[in-house]
Amino acid sequence: MSASSAGRAKAAGAKIIRYLDVVKRYGEFTALEGVSLDVHAGEVVCLIGPSGSGKSTLLRCTNGLEPIDGGDIEFEGARLPRDERALRAVRQRMGMVFQSFELFPHFTAQQNVAEGPRTVLRKPAAEADRRATAMLAKVGLADKAPNLPAALSGGQQQRVAIARALAMEPDVMLFDEPTSALDPETIGEVLNVMKILAQEGMTMVVVTHEMAFAQRVADWVAVFDAGRIVEQGPPRQIFESPLTDRTRDFLSHLGWSG
Amino acid sequence: MTLDWSVVWKHRDALMAGTATTFLLTIATMAIAVPCGIVVAVLRLYAWRPVRALATGYVELFRNLPLILVVYWAFYVLPILTGLGLSPLATGLAALSLNVSAYNAETFRAGINSIRRGQVEAAMALGMTRAQALRRVIVPQALRRILPVLASTWVSLFKDTSLVSVIAVTELAYVSMQVRAQTFRVLEMLTAMAVLYWLLGYPQAKLVDWMQRRMKVTE
Repeated sequence: MSASSAGRAKAAGAKIIRYLDVVKRYGEFTALEGVSLDVHAGEVVCLIGPSGSGKSTLLRCTNGLEPIDGGDIEFEGARLPRDERALRAVRQRMGMVFQSFELFPHFTAQQNVAEGPRTVLRKPAAEADRRATAMLAKVGLADKAPNLPAALSGGQQQRVAIARALAMEPDVMLFDEPTSALDPETIGEVLNVMKILAQEGMTMVVVTHEMAFAQRVADWVAVFDAGRIVEQGPPRQIFESPLTDRTRDFLSHLGWSG
Repeated sequence: MTLDWSVVWKHRDALMAGTATTFLLTIATMAIAVPCGIVVAVLRLYAWRPVRALATGYVELFRNLPLILVVYWAFYVLPILTGLGLSPLATGLAALSLNVSAYNAETFRAGINSIRRGQVEAAMALGMTRAQALRRVIVPQALRRILPVLASTWVSLFKDTSLVSVIAVTELAYVSMQVRAQTFRVLEMLTAMAVLYWLLGYPQAKLVDWMQRRMKVTE
């Protein structure tokens, strides 16, 4: 299904990530069967669809956590490298937030956020710390700096994880179901941080089951099913007048009335 | 049978010196075997295939040989291999280190494997190299997790150092045996030895238990 640029407000921005006919297999199972999608600078692109439809896989291929088996992924105009060293340089430009937070449990919130600047960017300790303090403040957790992750709620842990990714000053943020492991009452605080990022113009690719977030915040939505994008377009199209039965089925399954 | 406990007191200096050597051996062996264990574990997990096989071979060899055999082997073979006239202490240290490093390698391998994949992925996603991810994220967590196992290895090692008495390392067991041989006070010296090993070993075990509680990582 080809992407139409009509109604794509930020389409003028450079294409920062391009997925070109991406194929990913796990043994016999084909997780992605030729997925094509553009992400423009400053856009929020939400990937939605049923579990196992390939949206998380595509996200994990974006920073090379999973190698692809066909097609291409371009980042800032260059093909995603296969070579580990070059791939690391790319990963430093992409922040990633995981469903299960994956904070480092032996580090405090502050140390978690300072770790990237410190170890990867080799910043002096004072500068890494300054950045960590600023990023924790940004996600509203300045007072939690000395706490270990175990002493934080799920929502707080995920906000620290966002701060950890932001401390690398990435060009793109990748979110892999960032609220799926959270209690309902803490989902909102994480989504709010993400909204603020979006308003600041951060380029974001978000795998999510939060349809309200996708509708309100996304510039572009791609609907996945069985390893393919069955429909993509602006949220108004996807949520109000979907072009395919598959999108309609998926949304009605979630009780989405439009 | 009459018991004469004064023999223990009379040889207190020798026993103290032997105890000091036992501690020295235990500490030095662990100081060598913990880093070596980490290196071997990492090689077994991530190295180029032939190196991996070599590391596995090392672990399986030394884990399955009686320690006393390794001690004798080191005594006769090491001087030929190295061309050096090693002291009994150095030879005993080498034998113990070879043995305990193999055990520690297994312990570390299990510890590293127990850290869930997402942790490595989070480190890689930040742009870390595999070595950085290991050093900063995986090994520190694994270390905390396997502390109880290292602790029991330590306590075993403390007792197993007695095996190097067979190559005349003057540690606690050797000294006790010497005194026994000179005085024929068998029961007294064996009892004294047992009391000394127990009194010294028990607080160590408790200390490590305490460390483990303190360093515990909750997720």
